[in-house]
Formats: sequence, structure tokens, C-alpha cells
Amino acid sequence: MKAVGARLPRYDGVGHATGRTVYVDDVRVNGMLHTKALRSPHHHAGIKHLDTSRAERMPGVAAVVTHEDVPLLTYGHLSALGIPADEPLLGAEDVRYKGQPIAVVAAEDADAAQAGVEAVDVEFEERPALFDMRKSFDADAPRIHHWGAVYPHFEGEMNVRQIRKGDIERAFEQAYKIISGVYRPAAIEQMPLETQVGLSVPEPDGRFTIYSCTQALYFSMGVVAAHLQLPLNKFKFVGGTVGGGFGGKVDTATETLCTLLAQKSGRPVKWRWTREEEFLCSSTRAPWHMEIIDAVSADGWILGRKMLTLHDAGAYARFSPYGVTKHSFHHTGAYTIPNLHFDGYVCFTNRVPTSAMRGYGVTSVSFAVETHMSRIAEELGVDPLELRLKNANRIGDTSPNGITYTDPSTVDVLHAIAGATDADLPAPYRDASRDRRAGEWLPEHLVSQLSDSEGH
Amino acid sequence: MGSTAEVIQPGSPSEAASAFGDGAAVAVLAGGTLLVPDLHFGRARPERVIMLGDAGLNYVSRNNGTVSIGAATPIAALVGEATPLGPCAASIGDNEIRAQATVGGNLCAPAGFGDLQGPLLALGATARSAGAGGERSEPLEDFLAGRAGRLLLDVSYAEPAAGALAGLGRPHAHHYTVMAVSGARSRSGAVRLAVVGAGAVGSRLRAAEALAGDPDAAGVAAAGEVAPSDDPLASGWYRARTLPALVRQVLSDLEASA
Amino acid sequence: MNIVVNGTNRAVESPPLTPLLHVLREELDVLSPKAGCENGGCGACTVLLDGAPRRSCLTAVGSIGGAAVTTVEGLGTPEDMSAVQRAFVHYCAAQCGFCTPGMILAATAYLERGGSTEVAAISEALAGHVCRCTGYLKIVDAVAAARDGDFDLSTTAESPHTTVLG
Repeated sequence: MKAVGARLPRYDGVGHATGRTVYVDDVRVNGMLHTKALRSPHHHAGIKHLDTSRAERMPGVAAVVTHEDVPLLTYGHLSALGIPADEPLLGAEDVRYKGQPIAVVAAEDADAAQAGVEAVDVEFEERPALFDMRKSFDADAPRIHHWGAVYPHFEGEMNVRQIRKGDIERAFEQAYKIISGVYRPAAIEQMPLETQVGLSVPEPDGRFTIYSCTQALYFSMGVVAAHLQLPLNKFKFVGGTVGGGFGGKVDTATETLCTLLAQKSGRPVKWRWTREEEFLCSSTRAPWHMEIIDAVSADGWILGRKMLTLHDAGAYARFSPYGVTKHSFHHTGAYTIPNLHFDGYVCFTNRVPTSAMRGYGVTSVSFAVETHMSRIAEELGVDPLELRLKNANRIGDTSPNGITYTDPSTVDVLHAIAGATDADLPAPYRDASRDRRAGEWLPEHLVSQLSDSEGH
Repeated sequence: MGSTAEVIQPGSPSEAASAFGDGAAVAVLAGGTLLVPDLHFGRARPERVIMLGDAGLNYVSRNNGTVSIGAATPIAALVGEATPLGPCAASIGDNEIRAQATVGGNLCAPAGFGDLQGPLLALGATARSAGAGGERSEPLEDFLAGRAGRLLLDVSYAEPAAGALAGLGRPHAHHYTVMAVSGARSRSGAVRLAVVGAGAVGSRLRAAEALAGDPDAAGVAAAGEVAPSDDPLASGWYRARTLPALVRQVLSDLEASA
Repeated sequence: MNIVVNGTNRAVESPPLTPLLHVLREELDVLSPKAGCENGGCGACTVLLDGAPRRSCLTAVGSIGGAAVTTVEGLGTPEDMSAVQRAFVHYCAAQCGFCTPGMILAATAYLERGGSTEVAAISEALAGHVCRCTGYLKIVDAVAAARDGDFDLSTTAESPHTTVLG
């Protein structure tokens, strides 16, 4: 046990401090081509005409790839989990967000690639665009996918992620007060300092060596293999040095297209996005719309919660159904509420697809829940720390999705906050613990949610 | 990527002026903080680029109470100047940007930049420029209105008796100033006020100046003489609502320094 | 055209308006300056020109005259690092490492011009450098400590800062 508890230096510290660390953009391969993309200038449009023949004849251009060159055009990030694929690697008939790639050009240098992009003949038919997820349900909302603007494939082919727990109607009948709030965190760009970058090198044995800045190497390998319809053993991924990711490098942004261009040209192909592309075309953390309506008792117990969540997936699902599911499991935050009625929807808009970012699906609900807790405390005139301690998760309590908490740390965290802020907690709150509920900590409404198991 | 424009490196102000001609198809590279990436990404495609680095336009000179600042002087060189110019210069960009970006570049940059317009308008600066019709000197205000096609050589102003600056927030180095009001009182007692961030270029607040003795009234008057628009930094509504407070602040700071 | 990079005279064929960043990376294979934004906003491309920090993405190579270019490769090697480099290692001031070369160069210039060890002054000196990983505290710690020079690189420092920067 030389490592546990020891202050070990970072294995990569010296490389970073001396500029020797090799990031993907620092890899040098002879004969390397550079890539630029033709991206949709419209938020929502049909592609009426696409002709790359002029681009292919441009000086320095080695390969142009469009939807016609992709063996499996549409592959979903979570196909393996049974979430249907909806996003084409390159726009074919439709483009659903501004910046969606339609064609990629590999050329001797970036200027020649850009000139190639500008020589692609393309014609669009602009369509009305949807930017506000709250309008996804409107009868006259722009139709983004053939199934509409709300993801329809939760369990049982429902268009909603539902949680039903306890007796919500009774909780609201018993309420001293009903306290509601709406919470709307906006999109956030992960903004790694290193933009999306990939390099695919065709090897003499027919395999590809792919230098990737991905956060999820084997996942990316699966995505590339699926689109190219080749077995995994055709790809050697070189990763591990990521110039910041924060969730923004979970989606496979460059590797597949670099490899298709490398396959077509027979040469190594690099694609490094500009900062402008990173901001405008890479995934962001999703905007959310959350409505919370709580039934509370006069002394600060939360008896029941009704919650409606809308999640803005942007133009394609990617990981959004997973994100909303995770969100639903956490919609009571660090607190125990026995009676629940949760509906969560994945809404499609003509914004850039949204994806992972630190605490995927959960930071939104944490923001909403904690703000709502403070609102309840204010409306009831009770101390916000006492309100939180009262409802804090304890051993034996059960989560919205029925998991028994075996070692919840809420009480300890709240005590630490009280200490750091010199809060003067009265005795029962000062002495509260994470132990299984009993006595004054076990009011009648919490009895039925308690799990029989002891935890630990 | 890159520009293959012809590069001219004049060795004096007059060489710079003649290379500039009437400014057609010419881009001026002083610090380069705006132009170099524009050239690199093909957002600017001039036929000729004049580099001002050796053109003798990097100076701050003082003569009988008149300060002259060459157009190619880096913003960092102004940080020690009196209020409002010095603090305004210190609030632009970051350490490296201030050392590279120039006074001329800031005054001539498109809307969204141009913080130095405010203090220099309030100081009653004169702009000396070259271009079609030859060299001319004119109030900075007139220069800003017709700056396309002109090569700024320098700005000069009489050192003021007092100055003040009030701006809207600078949470960190990469935030642009939303709006700022500069004020200066000349040695003869005249008060000049100017605002940046309330229009495409900085402008004098003459109605407010006329009411300088009554800061409340001056603030209201200022809001009536600009028509700020929305941009990614703030709404026009917000700017119109905050301008009176900035004007009041500047006038009371000027009063306090009397 | 010739430019001096890390003490070596290098011939340059790129046109004079090419950003110094791309001359260094693409023509001269000096790879520590990073293309983070290429618009002057992030600081990852920073180099020293005659000892002063400069955004290489905003600097036309033809405009630097005879100024000497220094990158972190020129400050020290893995075997013989400068005090600032050693401080960054010891304080774990580099996480993903992409901003680190620019940070170290700006910090080196700051300390050489007599910069103080006050947190606010260090923060101002590094204001043009974006780090998305560390939250800056360890970077500020490293710069404040760097003047001491000698660090045991087999272990790491306890961060003296436990609260958010004021």
C-alpha cells in the first residue's frame, strides 16, 4: 500500500510542464491530409441537391465523403441499449441543426480543404425551425422527425419517462401548503481547451490507427466500426491524452469521418475543429425546463412531489433518454419524499444536439431541488438547514426508483455546512444522524416508504 | 491557412501614409490582435497589408500640456495615464492583449471594441490621419464618423484638470465592457462627457454636458440623446436604464475632484 | 526570413502574415504552443517575445523583427526544469495540460519582472489564460511558490488555498 494516502506526483506532470505531452494535434504522420466540413447554414432544411464533383476536382483535394459513402449512415449512440438510431453521420435528405455536417473534404492543407468545401454544390429548402422545447407539444410545432418532436421510445413505447410512487393524491389532500417553482437552466458548452480532433492512419494491413481525443475510447471504437461496418479488430485506437473533455468528448465527433476519408484517399487524415466549430457545432449540456409542485406540512415535511421535466435533446437523441432516466431517479435530490408523480420528456428542437457534461442529467435537477428547498423554507418560515435535515435521506429510505439507501451522506454534509457557516442548530437537528428513521424522525407519512432491509 | 497579401513595412509616418493611399484594398496591421486571425481564417482578404511596427507611430509625447499618442502605441503604454484614459486602458483585454493591441486599432475597430473612444472623446482629442485628400486633423468625433478610408496617425489632447470613468462591470478579463461613461473637466472648466457601448461608436453626451451642474438631470438627458441597441452583451433597454446612473457617477466624481 | 526560437536560428518559409503559432507548430515542429482558439481568447498559444508574453496566434511572423521566441521547450527539459516548471509539477498545477505551456510562460515573465506573490496580482497577470480543469487555485499556488525554486518532485504540495479566490 504505497499509493493509498500518499501524495504521489502526477504521472504526466513533467510532460505537461515541459511541453512534451503529445496531444492528437501534435502527432505528425507523413503525407497527412487536413479536413474541413460543409455544414448546414440553416437550422432546419431539406437538402434538394448535393453534388461534390466540382469539389473533387479542386487542386489539393484528395477525397470527399458524403452520406453516400457511409456503409451504415444512421447509428445511434445508445443503439446497444435499444434506443433507436436517429442521427445520420452526414446529412442526407434533411439537416436539423445549424452546423450539421453534410460533406467532408480532405486535402493537402486546410486552405485547399476549405476551398473544396466551398466548391460543393448544394441546395437547401429551408423549413420552419423549433428552438423552444416548451413548444414541442404544440399541434403546429415544426415537425423535426417523422415521429414528431418528442422522443417516443421509453419503456412500453411511451413518450414519457414516468415515476409513480406512493399515494400522490392523498399527499396533496393532506398538504398544509402547496409550493411550486419552475427552474430553467440553459445550455452550457463544455469548452475543453483542446477542440475536437482526430487523426486516422490507414495501415498496410488494411487496419486503421486512430489517434483520438475521446473520453470514451472503446465506445468510440464501436461507433466507428458500426458506421464502417467493419469488425473491431480493424481499428487500433490511440487515446489517453485528452486536452479537457468535461463530457464534450463522449460523442464521437471526428474519428468516423477521418477514417472514411482515410479509407477513400488511402492517406492519413486529420480533422481539428476550430473554436468556432466547437462552440457552434459540438454538443452542449442540455437546457432543461423543470416544474416542481410540492405538498408540504406546516412543520416542514415534504409529503409529496409532482414534477414535470422537459429536456432539450437538440436535433437528435444521442444520450438524452438515458440522461432523463437518470434525472428521474434523482428528482428528489438528497431528500426523501414518499409520494411521487414524475413525468419527463425528451424534446427535440433544431438546436445542436445536447449530450454529456459532468453529472449528466443530475446537475439540472440538483439545481432545481436545492433552489426549491430554499423556496419551501422561505414560504414556511422555517430554517433552510433544518428543513433539509428533516427530509434528508437516511438509511433504509428508498429512492424514487425504489433503491434502498444503505449509506446516505446527506446528514453529514448538512452538518458540515452548518459548521462551515456557524449555523446554530437546535438539539434534535444537531444530533441527527444518517441512521435508520425512528421516533420523531419517522412521521406517519414516511413509514410506508421504508425498506425492510437494514442497509449497510 | 494564410493570407498571401503583399506586405508593406513603412519606415516612417509619411511612408505609411503614401503606402496607404486612399485605403482601397489595404488592411493596416498595427498590433494585429484583430487582423491576424481575420487574415488566417480568410475573414479579411485585402490585397495589401501595411505593418505599422516600424513606422514611427509608437510614442506618447508631452508638450506644453498637450499629450500626443501615436496610433501604433500599445494600449499597455497608457495604463499609467490619468483618469479616465489610464483606468480605461487598464480594463481592456488582458496583460498580453494590452501589450500587443494598439490605440489606433482600438479606435478604428468595429463596433464591440473601441473602449478608448470614450476617454479620448471626453478629453476632446484631435485625430490626425492620412488618406484620400492628404493628411488632416479633426475632432476625434468627426474622425470616428468617417474613419473608413483613413489611416490614423495620432491623437492628441490637452491634459485635463480632472477626469472620471464609470463602467458596467468587468467580471474577468474576457468580458467586454457593456457600457462606460467618461468625463473630463478641462483647465478652462468645460465638462465633456462621452459614452461607449450605447451605439456603434462612442459619442459625446452634449445634452448631459449642458446640465453638468445637475447630475440627476444630466443623467436623464443622456438617456435621451442615445438610442442603444441590443447585442450579445446587453439589451438596449438595459443600457438606456443604466446610462443615467453612470452619468451621475461620473459627474459626482468630477465634482468631488474639484 | 529567419527567427530565433529557443536560442536557435531557424529559417522560415511561411508568408510573413502567417500567425507565429502556425509557423512554430506546422513549419518548425515546435509543438508546445497550442491552438486553443486561434483568436487570442484562451492564452494556450502564448510564447515569450524577448521575454514578454505574447499571443502567437495574433502575431504575424513577419512582424516580430529580430525578437527572440521562447517556448516552454526552451525554459527547461524534463531532466532540468526551470523553477516555475518544477513548481507546476509539485503543486499539480497542470491537469489536462493544454493551458500549461502558456501559463508557465506568462508566470515566468511575471516573476522575472518582479511580480509579487499576492493572489490578486498573480490572477491579474494570468487573466488571459483560460484553464478549464484546475479552478486556478493550484496554478496560483505554484506561481506564488515558484520563487523558492526547490521542490521535491517525488511528492506533491498541500495547497495553501482552501477557499475560492477573492
